[in-house]
Amino acid sequence: MAALMTVVLWLIFLVTASSSFLYGKHHDNQMLGIFLSKTHAQNPDVRKAAASFQRACFTVAVLSGGCSLLLQIPAVSKFSEFLMILLVMVNFFSNWCLVGSYQKKLVNIKKRNHWTYSRKKDISVDLAVSREKGKSSISSLWVWLFFLLSFAPSAVCFLYSGIRRFYRIALSLTGPLCQLGTVFLYYRLRTQHFPVISESAEINLMYARQKERINSISATLSSLAVLVFWILFSFLMLDAKSGPFILAPLIFLTAALLIISHWQQKKAFLLEESLAGIQPPEDENIPEQQSIWKWGCYDNPRDFHLFVPKRIAGTGWTINIGQPLGKVLYFGIIILVFAGILFLVFAGQKDYEIKVQEANLTMNASFYDTVLKKDQVISVSVVKKIPSGVRTNGYSGIGKCFGHFSLDHYGKCMLYLYKGVDRYIVLQLKEKDPGYIIINDKTEEKTEVLYHTIRQWLSN
Amino acid sequence: MILKIDTAGNVPIYRQIRNQIIYGAATGRLKTRERLPTVRQLAGDIGVNPMTVSKAYELLKSEGVIVMDRRRGAQIKEFHAEENPLDKNFDDALKALISEYRIKGASKEKLTEHTLSIIDSIYGQKEEF
Repeated sequence: MAALMTVVLWLIFLVTASSSFLYGKHHDNQMLGIFLSKTHAQNPDVRKAAASFQRACFTVAVLSGGCSLLLQIPAVSKFSEFLMILLVMVNFFSNWCLVGSYQKKLVNIKKRNHWTYSRKKDISVDLAVSREKGKSSISSLWVWLFFLLSFAPSAVCFLYSGIRRFYRIALSLTGPLCQLGTVFLYYRLRTQHFPVISESAEINLMYARQKERINSISATLSSLAVLVFWILFSFLMLDAKSGPFILAPLIFLTAALLIISHWQQKKAFLLEESLAGIQPPEDENIPEQQSIWKWGCYDNPRDFHLFVPKRIAGTGWTINIGQPLGKVLYFGIIILVFAGILFLVFAGQKDYEIKVQEANLTMNASFYDTVLKKDQVISVSVVKKIPSGVRTNGYSGIGKCFGHFSLDHYGKCMLYLYKGVDRYIVLQLKEKDPGYIIINDKTEEKTEVLYHTIRQWLSN
Repeated sequence: MILKIDTAGNVPIYRQIRNQIIYGAATGRLKTRERLPTVRQLAGDIGVNPMTVSKAYELLKSEGVIVMDRRRGAQIKEFHAEENPLDKNFDDALKALISEYRIKGASKEKLTEHTLSIIDSIYGQKEEF
């Protein structure tokens, strides 16, 4: 479990480092959201700052990865969930500080060298480019095909009812939903506006066509990556014994999206380089604008779209916090994430209580309390091993697990278990949902005592 | 042809689109029967509501600059020289414009010189329709 958490952390650190790293590359006259012309981006001071930023990103990722090894220490395992969240927060904060400090550095370099660009608020649109939109993309048939194929797990789930115990139909439909997101992304990138880079319609058209092709290929590849992830994930979900391999699809998806982002950036850079030969850079013509990315979020009140492609187009969607509804969604998600974190911390730290009272047997656990009456219980027994199963709605940390689970042979159960204690009290119930409640205490001895107490309670 | 829209200016965006398309057609940058982008596409590129572009296209259609076709979309109309194109509308519009700039302090010589340079820029690029 600790090894799994470490791998998950490494994936998160890799994604944040890559995201910051790619943000630091010069594209569309921007570097870290600061407007810089192509010529000015080649300035030794700017290049030095960019190289230093990349090294800092790498250092933060390595340090965070090193700290995640703390999870392997047995003494820390009790606080592992808390430590995991803390490490992720520290990593995000470090990256955020890095971006902020290097943005200041770039602004200072601009000021020192008196690099100012015009503040005109013109929007230029080449009618020829606008008219030819969507004609250079690769066929949309691929993304629609991937969308249809993403229904395969739902079809299997629908045909074989036994599978539904591990894998609900509702869960199987989240894949097609995500896949549909990639279909919309493809269409959005096809019709994306490209800046006018020249007075010549031919150069503008050539640039727009190639950029559109790059974007449509990356959107299609992202769609394929999501499909492969989904099929792999569904396949592993059906096999309850897959254990740590359940991380494999996530690793694949992360790696695939990073490779696609890198490919797209490289292609866009090469395209801009090739055009630099035809069209010399005109530094005085680039408009000074405020960055539309704030705190890593898209913030553009002039854009009426609520969902927009991410900074590296082709790798997914993000919310436009410049729109009122975008703000609501954004802060709603943040509140949900914090609520989840609080639940994890609360659930991870609080021990559940099992109280035997006059008429009731009460199990108090964060959000998963249960009260049992004597007449609900058919039998009670002690076992040394319980079959494997899956969590359907509950908490499962390093030290304990509680909530709703589905176990082989038992079916729907509620568990209140400390891990590493090989003694379990099984209460068979008259109802079927849950059909069993399985509990134990912190040690085998304490579990034995609890078992006798429950038996006594039932016999009275 | 490149449309340059000033979003901070006083001239409404639909007017700017209309003026620049007329200028493009007059100077020959937009050829006869050349197709214009769809309303949605142009609106997406400029970053405005499709209704704004639609209004500009409707205006151009009513003025006889473009024709709208269900299959081919909007395209520049073929112009035929009129017998007397300099009608009363032209006189009124020009009178108002010259008067406005005289009040602002433009001298007759300066106004004539400037107007001629604009006429040259239009006729110089396209001699006749």
